[in-house]
Amino acid sequence: MSSLTAQQRQELIDELPRLKRFCLSLTSDPSDADDLLQVTVERLLEKGMPADAHVAKWSHRVCRNLWIDEIRSRDVRNRYAQAEGAVEGAGTTAENSEESVQLDRVSAVMERLPPEQRAALVQVAVEGCSYAEAATILEVPIGTIMSRVARARKALTEDLEWKTEREA
Amino acid sequence: MKDDSKNVVDMDGMRVDDDHLLSMYIDGELDAERTISLAGRLKRETALRARLSAMENSDRLVKKLYASHSADAGQALTALIQSKNVAILKPTARWREWATGAIAASVMAVVALSLITEQSTFNPMTMDEHLAQALEHSPSRASGWEQLDGARDFRSVLTFPAADGRWCREFMLAHNESHWRGVACRDEGTWVNQVVGSEVFLERETQYRPAGAGDTEKVARFIDETAADVALGPQQEAALIASGW
Repeated sequence: MSSLTAQQRQELIDELPRLKRFCLSLTSDPSDADDLLQVTVERLLEKGMPADAHVAKWSHRVCRNLWIDEIRSRDVRNRYAQAEGAVEGAGTTAENSEESVQLDRVSAVMERLPPEQRAALVQVAVEGCSYAEAATILEVPIGTIMSRVARARKALTEDLEWKTEREA
Repeated sequence: MKDDSKNVVDMDGMRVDDDHLLSMYIDGELDAERTISLAGRLKRETALRARLSAMENSDRLVKKLYASHSADAGQALTALIQSKNVAILKPTARWREWATGAIAASVMAVVALSLITEQSTFNPMTMDEHLAQALEHSPSRASGWEQLDGARDFRSVLTFPAADGRWCREFMLAHNESHWRGVACRDEGTWVNQVVGSEVFLERETQYRPAGAGDTEKVARFIDETAADVALGPQQEAALIASGW
């Protein structure tokens, strides 16, 4: 494998918004997502990919593996402190509109979801992937995707309803 | 919702509850038979309808959340991907350094983006003939500039051997009031940029950008990590240039 072909570069550029959302689904922290996207692109440019590789699938796989490497090596306490700060920050910087409040709620709930559920939900609900497509990207069985998406939706819906009722 | 009598079995033989059914219904993953069955229940059961509505609303908010975060996705990275003849530094080991240091690639991306938006022909990420020729033939100097082309000035700063056997040169470019510092290495007869960072605006202190200092540090760090020996002296460098590297 060497550097990317012109077509692969263009496909990677086209894939960036989706890849960014994937990063966010893995990290749940915008700063970490930016880092992960940056490192993913650097890795792809550095290592290249096979000429016949599916750019979207390959880039998602590289991204996911990099994140797994990162969470294996990250200091847990440091991570916890950063996550706490990010949640607090999201709440305090919210604008006063109802939509912003709702998005802050969703952001906080998504943050608490298990990462594998969050990633599955984003692939299906945000990216519009079929369960089969999401299963390919996340490298798990289709039934696992179905289960993770359903559990994520359940947790998200109940948490949001509970928050809304509590604040009413 | 938690009534076991309403549980069904999915295609893999797993038992699924109403939330699973509704989720699959939203995603269009239910087969025709169960879709018809669920649609019938939705007509009759208010609670089930409310649950579906709440899930769909959650989905809507999640989509909006992720759309807001990805609105500017990759704009800075686009220039990096488009650029050719740029080698990417070995990623740093610590994750946080990627954010703060943003190693050479992000620096180059920002640099390239700003230049592209200015529709300027000057792009320090691209190794053109003028720059390659200067790197091939110009001796290093401590001060002064050599005119590269109509728009740019060049100064080679030093020449050093890399651990992989290549010869590398640190150099500076000046374009209008902006300065750029980088390292290029000679790879099988071709000069390839390894790292390029923006310098501070040396001529006008009012335009000083703190980030510039960080960029310079990245160049220095690259040299620290790459150099196999100290920089060549003037005579050694002159001999190397004369020998055609």
